[in-house]
Formats: sequence, C-alpha cells, structure tokens
Amino acid sequence: MRQKNLVNSVLTGLSVVVFLVALGMVFFYAPREATMGEVQRIFYFHVAAAWVGFFGFFVTFVGGVGYLATNDRRWDILAFSSAEVGLVYISMTLVTGMLWAKPAWGTYWTWEPRLTISAVQWLLYVAYVMLRGSVLSPEREARFAAVYGIAAFVTVPLSWFAIRWWRTIHPVIVSGAGMALTSKMIHTLLVSIAAFTLVYVTLLRQRITLEQNRDRLAALRLHDEATAA
Amino acid sequence: MIEVSQLTKSFGPRQALAGVDLHIAPGECIVLCGPNGAGKTTLLRILATLARPTSGTVRIAGLDPAKAGADVRQHIGFLSHRTLLYDDLTAEQNLAFYARMYAIPDAQARIAGLLERVGLTARRHDLVRTYSRGMQQRLAVARAVLHRPSLILLDEPYTGLDPLAADALTALLTDLTGEGCTLLLTSHNLQTDVTLNRRVVVLNRGRIVYDAPHTDAATFPALYRELVQEARGKRQESVDEESANGRMREPADHASRITHHAPPLQNPKFLHQVWAIVAKDIAAELHTREIFSAMFVFAVLALLIFSFALDLRGSLAQAAAPGVLWATIAFAGTLGLSRSMAREQQTGGIEGLLLAPVDRAALFFGKALGNLMLMLAVEVVLIPLAMVMFNVGLLRGGVLLTALLGTVAYAAVGTLLAAIAVNTRAREVMLPILLLPLLTPLLIAAVKATGALLEGATWAEIGGWGQILVVYNLLIIAVALLTFGFVIEE
Repeated sequence: MRQKNLVNSVLTGLSVVVFLVALGMVFFYAPREATMGEVQRIFYFHVAAAWVGFFGFFVTFVGGVGYLATNDRRWDILAFSSAEVGLVYISMTLVTGMLWAKPAWGTYWTWEPRLTISAVQWLLYVAYVMLRGSVLSPEREARFAAVYGIAAFVTVPLSWFAIRWWRTIHPVIVSGAGMALTSKMIHTLLVSIAAFTLVYVTLLRQRITLEQNRDRLAALRLHDEATAA
Repeated sequence: MIEVSQLTKSFGPRQALAGVDLHIAPGECIVLCGPNGAGKTTLLRILATLARPTSGTVRIAGLDPAKAGADVRQHIGFLSHRTLLYDDLTAEQNLAFYARMYAIPDAQARIAGLLERVGLTARRHDLVRTYSRGMQQRLAVARAVLHRPSLILLDEPYTGLDPLAADALTALLTDLTGEGCTLLLTSHNLQTDVTLNRRVVVLNRGRIVYDAPHTDAATFPALYRELVQEARGKRQESVDEESANGRMREPADHASRITHHAPPLQNPKFLHQVWAIVAKDIAAELHTREIFSAMFVFAVLALLIFSFALDLRGSLAQAAAPGVLWATIAFAGTLGLSRSMAREQQTGGIEGLLLAPVDRAALFFGKALGNLMLMLAVEVVLIPLAMVMFNVGLLRGGVLLTALLGTVAYAAVGTLLAAIAVNTRAREVMLPILLLPLLTPLLIAAVKATGALLEGATWAEIGGWGQILVVYNLLIIAVALLTFGFVIEE
C-alpha cells in the first residue's frame, strides 16, 4: 500500500512537471501559426486529448477482454477506470475542437469527420458509464460492461470509415486540411501528447486505487455487519 | 450423484457460500434448510449450472458442469422461485417447447401424461397467464421433470401452494424418489418437509452446520433454531470453522438405487433448438400481437412526425426518404427488441433456456432470428407505406437487399444489447442509449446505400457502403456469438 502511494505520488509530481513543460512549449516555444494566429495553439491540447481519449477506449476494450477471459476483478477495474478517465479526455477533445472551430471555420459545430467521430465516441463512453451505474449485481455489471466495451470498440473503425466517406462523398464546405506543421510545432505536439498521456496514467492509477479501496471498504462493512448480526 | 467440495461463491465482497462440502448419493431425498441469505438458492443455482462457483469443485453424475455443461443439464430438473414458464403460451405449448429443447423422443405422450399427473389436462390449451399461482407451480413442476431428470432441485417448492396442492406435491415428490430420482429441496416450512423423513442439511452463512437424517418432525424446528443461533454465537466468538461444524454428522446411508425409467434422450440438434426458440417467440407473439402492433403503430407515427417536422414535400420528401425510413426502422426496432427480451425475462424464461442442454450460440441465433422476423414483418408493411407517403420506388432488388442486411445487423446487435438492457434498473431507456451510438456506421451506410440505389446506382456501384454493411454484420455477429453467453448467464 505504502509503495503504491509512493508510485502514485511520483507519477503525480512527474505529470505536473511534464504538463508545465508542455504548457511552456505551447505558449513560448511553438511559433505563432500564420493563418489562424494564437487560436491555433489549442490544437496541441485538442490532438493530445483526442489521442488519449481513443487510447483510453482501447484500454477499456483490453480490460473487458481480460475480464471475460479470467473473471478477475482487476481487469474490470482497469476497464472501468480507463473509460471514466477517457470520457473526461473525449469531453475535452469536443470542447477544444468547438472552441477552435468557431474562429477557424466560423461555426462551433460542423459535421466534420473528426468532430463527428469524437461525438460518437463520447456517446459510447457515456453509455458505458451509464450502464455501469444501472446494473445491480457487481458481477453482472462487470460482464455487461466488458461486452459493451468490446462491441463498442470493434464498431469504432467502421464508424470512422462511414463518417469519413459520408462527409467526403458529398462536398465538404469547410476543412481543417492544409495545416502544415514546422519542426517546433511537432516537438510541442509530441511533448503535449506525452504530458496528456502521463496525466492519463496518473489519473488511471488513482482511479484504480480508489476502486480497490471501495472494494476493501465494502468487504469491511460486510464483515462488520456479519459480526454484529 | 452430487459431489461438492470446498465450494465458495462470492458476489463482489459478499461471500454467499464459504466452503461447502456435500455428497449426495443417487436416490436420496435431501431437505436443505437455513435462514434467509444462508446460501441455499446460490447452492442450488450452482448445482443447476445457472451460476458458476468462485472456487471449489462440483461433480454431478460424475461430470464437471464447467466442462460438460450440456451433458450435466440433461440430468437436472430445476424448480426455481420463478416458474420459468412463458405467460403468453399455453401449458401444452410451454411443455412442447421445452420438450424440443431437450429433444425428448416421446414428447406428446410424456406431455399428456404429466399434464394428467399435475391435474392440468382440462386447462392445457389455456394461456399460463390465466392460471392461479398454484396451477402455475404445478405446471412448473411438470416442466422441471419433463425430461425425466435423475436429479431434481427444488427451491422452496411449497411456496404459494394451498394445503391440498402441497399434499399433491408431496405425493409427487415421494413418487419421484420411489422411481429413483435424487431430490434436493430447500424449504422454510420445517414441519411439513421434514415429515418426509429425509436427510436434513442446514446451511447458515454459507456453511453447512448440520447434516443428518431426522425423523422427529415435532422437535426439529427447535433444534433448527438452536443450530442457527449457535452458529451465530460461535462466529461472534471467532471460533474456527471446524468448531462451528461440530454437529456435522456423516451423511445418511445412501440408497444406491436409480432406475432408468425413460427412453434415452437424443442429443438436441443445433438448428432444431434455434427453430424451437423462433417458433416459441412467434407463437407467443401470435397470442398477444403486442410487439408487432407497438412497432407498427410507432413506425407510422414516426413517419408522420418526420414529415411534419421536416416539412417533407415533393423532391425534398424523396431526398429525405432513405434517412426517414431508416430512422423509423431504428426507433421502432428498439421498441420491439426491448419488449421481446423483457418477455423472455418476465417469468425467468431465459433461465429455463439456460437449464436446457442448449448451445449458447443457438440461444443467440434463436432470439436474433425471432427479432429479425418481427422487424421484417414490420418492414413488409412499412416500406410500401413509405413508398406511398414519399412517392419513391423502394421496391427494388438493391434497396431490399440493403434493408435485409441492415435489419440483420440491427437484430444481431439489438439482441445482444437488449439482453443487457433488460437486466438494468433503467431498462425502459437503456436500450436506445446503448444501441444507437453503436449503430452509427450501420445507419450511415444503410441510408447512403438506399439513397444511391434510389438515384439509379446498382449494388456494385454503391461500393464502400455495401462493404460496411457486410463487414458490420460479420463483426457484430462474431462479437455477439462470443459474448452472448456472458450476458445471459448469472
């Protein structure tokens, strides 16, 4: 337990440091984009959050497969924790995407493929979390969530193709294409992705610890009730 | 007949069974007693293969349920708290359905004989929902023994029975033990059941605290209370398990008789079981017509509301027709899927299916095919109606193929998710929340393919949309086949 807390503390500290470095690079190292100006800087948060959001869903898928294969609660905790943290990141992706879209495209929302797939992904995460809150038996909750996580993940690539074709077969009024990145921009983007990934890992570990503590607390309560009866 | 060793079962942090050892010889009749929450039902459900143990071993008729589930189920008859009957089928249809699931060779004669034995011959053509509680329980007993199981598990079989029906049940159980069946029944009604003069096992807090034959029905309730309180007291004092089981005795002398009083069961065939499930769903729907009616009326309402809301007229109506049609199918389908699975759950029907020696894939295909037929039946009416309302020629080979592919995928993913949603607290709203985000690629591809086909493209020309429909079908059917068993089992 003490070792776990130490790892969590180290990860938290490291996340803060790397995140501050990423912030510094976004605002002081990366050059000002010629066409869009300062607003382009949101791109470093947006892309990094989107990457972690999708990665989080992949971890949920892996956790679901692991749980169904082994019936081990640890896989379920991993899947659930990753889905919750992933939901935060996908929400961030949507918000930053809309904030960027308004000055860039003149509208907060357009059915552009990447925004649309993020919206679908967000709905899948929300449905996953709602499902977990709606099943009474903990064992069933884990199994149902694992099945849903797997079914949702395998349909995501198809959603990606469908949404891209849907928007490219018909005329696309606005497009985010053509944003050339300089080497400084690429460095900043990579550090941002690393920072967001590190924060994801930190939050994931904290969430896993929280869930494990809940399990322990529930076991202690049951023991107390049994002793008192 | 039953060998249970160090059996444990946990539900999250709660331990329902904490190391149960139980040996039951063929032909024995055992009364399993214990206070509420002692673990009686959990033990029976594990023996019935409806639940998996957390640890420990179970052997039934020498077989491991985890490895030879279908073979074990041929030996087991289970009477649960719920009747496991379909309210919207007649008594005869219920038994005929289970006879097909077990591939009973002399089904007609067996059903007639059992209905006579439980006194329901005169009411055999009546829907089960018109039966009293006692009649339903009698029919449930007939269902449990229909396939001539050698082991019968009865969970509080006397619940809800009047004294006469209880006497009839006691007579039936006595007959069954006379025929060599092994009986394990749980009960709270200590005096009635103990008069059966059987071996009594008392379970308390997931452990066996008493196991011995008992003949004195008058004194047993007092002994039972003493046992339960003693076990509680010992737990409080943290006395170890050996000490708490101090009153355990060796099992009674086991009669080794078991008569093979039935023609051997055949191995149920996969397609026969699939069709039996489909036929059962169709028969239930023909009795009620509730799902078809609800889906159809909802679909017509949706068409009208889309027309009003989008002000669809002239060329706009034709352009919007594919989208409106697929949105209507999606919403009406959700309604039907939800109700179809709720009907299965209503009286524990899905548990009845799980008790049968049926492949989980057959269960999935059976339910999905039943749902597909319902959806297609609605589309047969809906598509011509949409043609008239939107003035578009939907009756084309490519459009119909798209409709078929889209509906098959919808029924497959919908059946999987409806089985999940029906077990949630917010079951009325959970299915669309789970289903619709997953349908994104299917709906986009189906709408775009239908639109292109209406504009004169051939199936070959719609390219990627057709491929998405086919790949979606393959992917989702594969996922559903691999995971459906996890969804429906406890």
